[in-house]
Amino acid sequence: MPDLFAVPVFFVIFRETIEAGIIISVLLAFLKQSFNGPEHDPKIYKRLVWQVWLGSLAGLLICMIIGGGFLGAFYTLGKDIWGTSEDLWEGIFCLIASIIITIMGAAILRLSKLQAKWSTKLTATLGSKPKNMGGFTKKYAMAILPFITVLREGLEAVVFVGGVSISSPASAFPLPVITGLIAGGIIGWIIYKGGNTVKVQMFLVASTAVLYLVAAGLFSRAVWDFEMWQYGRLVGGDVAETGTGPGSYDIRKSVWHVNCCSPTFNQGGGWGIFNAILGWQNSATYGSVLAYNIYWIVVSAGFVVMWFKEKKGRYPFCKRSENVGSTGDSAEIVEVRADEKVGNSPMQV
Amino acid sequence: MLFPLLLPVLAFLPCVLSKTVTYDFNITWTTANPDGKFERKVIGINGKWPIPTIEVDKGDRVIVNMYNGLGDQKTSLHWHGLFMNGTSYMDGPVGVTQCAVAPGQSIVYDFVVDQPGTYWYHSHLKGQYPDGLRGAFIVNDPDDPHKDLYDSEIVLTFSDWYHQQMPSLIKRFLSVANPTGAEPVPQSALINETQNLTVSVEPGKTYLFRLINIGAFAAHYVWFEGHTMQVVEVDGVYTKPMDAQMLYLTAAQRVAVLVTMGNDTSSNFPFMGSMDEDLFDQVPEGLQSNVTGWLVYDSRNENPPAKEISEFDPFDDFLLEPVDEEPLLENPATSITLDVVMDNLGDGANYAFFSGITYVAPKVPTLYTVLSSGNLSTNPVIYGYNTNSHILRHNDVIEIVINNLDPGKHPFHLHGHNFQVIYRSPDDAGAYDPTATHDNPAIPMRRDVVLVNPNGNLVLRFRADNPGVWFFHCHLEWHIVSGLATTFVEAPLQLQSQVVPQDHLDICTAQGLPTEGNAAGNKVDFLDLTGENRSPDPLPAGFEARGIVALVFSCVAAVGGMMVVVWYGMADVPK
Repeated sequence: MPDLFAVPVFFVIFRETIEAGIIISVLLAFLKQSFNGPEHDPKIYKRLVWQVWLGSLAGLLICMIIGGGFLGAFYTLGKDIWGTSEDLWEGIFCLIASIIITIMGAAILRLSKLQAKWSTKLTATLGSKPKNMGGFTKKYAMAILPFITVLREGLEAVVFVGGVSISSPASAFPLPVITGLIAGGIIGWIIYKGGNTVKVQMFLVASTAVLYLVAAGLFSRAVWDFEMWQYGRLVGGDVAETGTGPGSYDIRKSVWHVNCCSPTFNQGGGWGIFNAILGWQNSATYGSVLAYNIYWIVVSAGFVVMWFKEKKGRYPFCKRSENVGSTGDSAEIVEVRADEKVGNSPMQV
Repeated sequence: MLFPLLLPVLAFLPCVLSKTVTYDFNITWTTANPDGKFERKVIGINGKWPIPTIEVDKGDRVIVNMYNGLGDQKTSLHWHGLFMNGTSYMDGPVGVTQCAVAPGQSIVYDFVVDQPGTYWYHSHLKGQYPDGLRGAFIVNDPDDPHKDLYDSEIVLTFSDWYHQQMPSLIKRFLSVANPTGAEPVPQSALINETQNLTVSVEPGKTYLFRLINIGAFAAHYVWFEGHTMQVVEVDGVYTKPMDAQMLYLTAAQRVAVLVTMGNDTSSNFPFMGSMDEDLFDQVPEGLQSNVTGWLVYDSRNENPPAKEISEFDPFDDFLLEPVDEEPLLENPATSITLDVVMDNLGDGANYAFFSGITYVAPKVPTLYTVLSSGNLSTNPVIYGYNTNSHILRHNDVIEIVINNLDPGKHPFHLHGHNFQVIYRSPDDAGAYDPTATHDNPAIPMRRDVVLVNPNGNLVLRFRADNPGVWFFHCHLEWHIVSGLATTFVEAPLQLQSQVVPQDHLDICTAQGLPTEGNAAGNKVDFLDLTGENRSPDPLPAGFEARGIVALVFSCVAAVGGMMVVVWYGMADVPK
């Protein structure tokens, strides 16, 4: 069995596909929800769907090129290039993904109230040429997010698979890669499909809640990765190689450590999925725990403040302001009256 | 008529002939660049480095007046291999038989050497000697059984060499930044504290080469190209001559070999010291772990580089037989098993353990505790938990079983004795199995530093006929620093008749250190060890209180946060 099916490779591909699939399927579901109704322009919907898919495929292509380049260099130079700065790269990618999901999620929660405005906005920006990066980002937001996500997940997968491949024969690869992709894809599709038959708002809220769970985990993991990178530089070797026992973590920063259940050691198995969804670490630091809790506190406070703004038309402790438009917050809620023209609120994702 | 009168006079001659040799040693800093790659500070004696070779005759009394002129480090001197019978306080290891000699202080080492052979002397404090304070100590013997076999003697010391000073290397070695306990790799190898040594030899003559490994860490493979060695002594024990092509000298081991020169003077021959890289954590690019010297038959010849060899095939010292044919010590009264393990403690650093205890020096040198504890001296508790002390009864046969549960090649050294090597297992044999049948040698090999194989075991025996406090430890400096040591308190009641010289006690008092009391310095209640020096706590296993709090809090935060998200999402916004 180990000669035909490398279980770690399956879990790596499965996990990475789920993570990427969650983002993409929510995006597609959102698109389907907001732009695929009878009152919408099917061309715009198609265009946005294309953006999502093209972004994903572009990410996949680039990650394969980069990953292939790294793996080629890795085998020829015989050195583990990722090893010394892998944690730094991972941390940066996790942080970016977490921030994007956070902002995106807030937009999705107010989505159903903003459909009309949003679709108009999208039509306007999609029709125009990109003037500056701001406009470009707005216009191709649907491509950029899956692009970054797929790139990150794909590079991780390529590196892990490369690392595992030293000990496994080549015959052990095709099967787990294919089954991992299929299984991860099915899960993503279920998320996507299931969203349409359930009451829309509940689906959006539930899936967004899960997204925030993932984002919190990513944020915590980014901090954890940065601390791990620091520790690796201090020790001067590949800390991950010491396994899960003493010496694989910095005792001075540890909040808890168990010599098992690691999502990174030996590709993690089930604990890897635990990590992907909840940000679980077998060796938590003050930094990672605080980051997790601070993330939730900030996000919760942010939502409370936004709700307050919507209800009262002003921020807490502030006076009511006449300019109820641009404050730079995402998913800015504006009171829409049926006969009012569309305001100036910038859409930001 | 006169002759009978002369006879009693003649009988006294040996005593008259044995003399007192005095050395005045001022320990100072100086600089040196022995490998030609890096000039660094070294610890010298009287402003010079390498430090002098001490050479005395058997029976001589040696007096060393040592003054610590370093200014910024404490020091001490240990006379490696000398039994110090009756003068155990002169042995030298700090925390065991004396306090450290602080800068500006003086101490007198005064002892009689009654054993011939090849020994060495070095600092015995905090891994200090690799910074330069190590030299040869030769004891000549007019009754040497091999003396007719050679024409003259040559002393060769072999060593590894670091460019950085030991204190900074130790700081990094024993820290959270080195969790695997990787030992620092030396930068070069030296012979007689230099490289490219030339030794003039005459054709047809036989020389006695005294080979000493004075290094900190690396073992040396030693061979003379084109010449066969005959081993005649190890660690001060004369052996029946045995041929060897290549020797393996661990740190601190000595071997004396006879090498007969050829009759042809047309070429010079290299001899090699090659460091064993097995224990090097990572071999850096360009490390030159070989050092070459030459037997110069004719200085007009060129000195050829050493030929490459395909493999190391060293002589097994277990096969040697001592000349005195001391028989196997049977029926040991005590058998002490020591399991060697390396593990991390709560400060993140990697420590070494003998059966679960890592050595930490006590507040009162263990010898001083023996001398001030009266009848309680036979109770091992008073010496503290981390000195890992074992009480040995006078004249008992003691057996030590070492189970090396570590892949390291450790050289173990016992102060105050040499021991019979009863059994050494091959690699990966695991713990010693006393029920497994193997024939113990009728006349076992004896020495005072012996190698145990990786993940193997070793059995030693000696007779506890030398009252004293004797340190037993791995002679790799890094492992002493991380605590691979234990203390044998041998015949404490008999030991109490020894009197520590006042100047030894004065150096303690001048530093505010106690000279009486148990390991915690308690003179009143020897069984109360509150305040003793302890090793760091073990690493917490699993979830502690703060871990559970953190996990619960995080779960609460996540659930609460998700509830806020759901609430916000479901809230109606007025149109």
